[in-house]
Amino acid sequence: MSYWKDLNAGIIKENPVLRLMIGLCPTLAVSNNAVNALGMSVAVAFVLICSNWVIAAIRKWTPDDIRIPIFIIVISTFVTISDYIMQAYYPELYAALGVFVPLIVVNCIILGRAEAFAYRNPVLNSILDGVGMSLGFALALVSIGVIREILGAGTVFGIQLFNAAVAATIMVLPPGAFITIGVLMAFLNKMENKVL
Amino acid sequence: MATILMVFCVISAGGLAFVYLFTQPQIDKNAKLTFENSLREVLPGSADFEEVRCEEAQVFRSEKGYAVLVTPRGYSGPVKMLVGVDKQGEVVKIKILDQKETPGLGANVVKPGFLSQFSGKTERDKLEPKQDIDAITGATITSRAACQGVKQALKCRRKIR
Repeated sequence: MSYWKDLNAGIIKENPVLRLMIGLCPTLAVSNNAVNALGMSVAVAFVLICSNWVIAAIRKWTPDDIRIPIFIIVISTFVTISDYIMQAYYPELYAALGVFVPLIVVNCIILGRAEAFAYRNPVLNSILDGVGMSLGFALALVSIGVIREILGAGTVFGIQLFNAAVAATIMVLPPGAFITIGVLMAFLNKMENKVL
Repeated sequence: MATILMVFCVISAGGLAFVYLFTQPQIDKNAKLTFENSLREVLPGSADFEEVRCEEAQVFRSEKGYAVLVTPRGYSGPVKMLVGVDKQGEVVKIKILDQKETPGLGANVVKPGFLSQFSGKTERDKLEPKQDIDAITGATITSRAACQGVKQALKCRRKIR
């Protein structure tokens, strides 16, 4: 039951972007279309799951005073690995995500989960927490990406839906990200009062 | 404590060195392949390219003509563009390799609708936005940068030849 709870928490109830409001920087930057959003979600999922796993595994040997530097070393190692792998095998995606791949290091979701969850829980729970949080992040990012792409460019996953001339360009620019996130948060808050 | 931190650093560095070793050749290969594909795109039918020096740009010569790499200043940074010029001095095709222009406005510089206007232009053409080139809506500076780049490429080809 507790495993299920750890997995489930991150998806809606403690959704990192829309509920905990962490990791907003990459969310704003790469959610201008659905493909970028999906690519970013996969990279974050890889780093988050691996770092949660390693940090939970080494938590007994980690002195309390230097836990943050150690978390950062673990996280940056996985970020660099994903950076290299993406550059080598998915160059198109890497070109689209650009500087935001190395910046996963400072994504608050990952350090936040390391400190708040993986450091205090067993390996399996931490991996599940990582999976749940990644799914929540992906859900939020892809929803934002799809909404912005449709309204701002008239396409979804690159497929043309209607003439781009009538699309609201502001939606693919930074203000569009703030507007979309605000509306989604309001929607989720409203839903929570009714359902959760 | 320092020892523990050092142990973590060493393990991490070792792991990264390992990943670097087996991804680096592929990364280099990708970069080279992407660039060569771009060269072939702006000068279709070319087999081999040979690099030639020009003061302000890198020029790649093939039996079909010249591919000139120019980086005019755009609205929010350099616009890295590759201009294919044939032996008669006519622009064949242009490809934007890298740009940081405003999405939805200046970033439209990559669209074929804008770039194809340059095909067939020579040094005798004016190459001025709003005159013989339709500017990108809401992006005069970017349009001017693209024109500037093409002019520079044509000039380079003349100097080399």
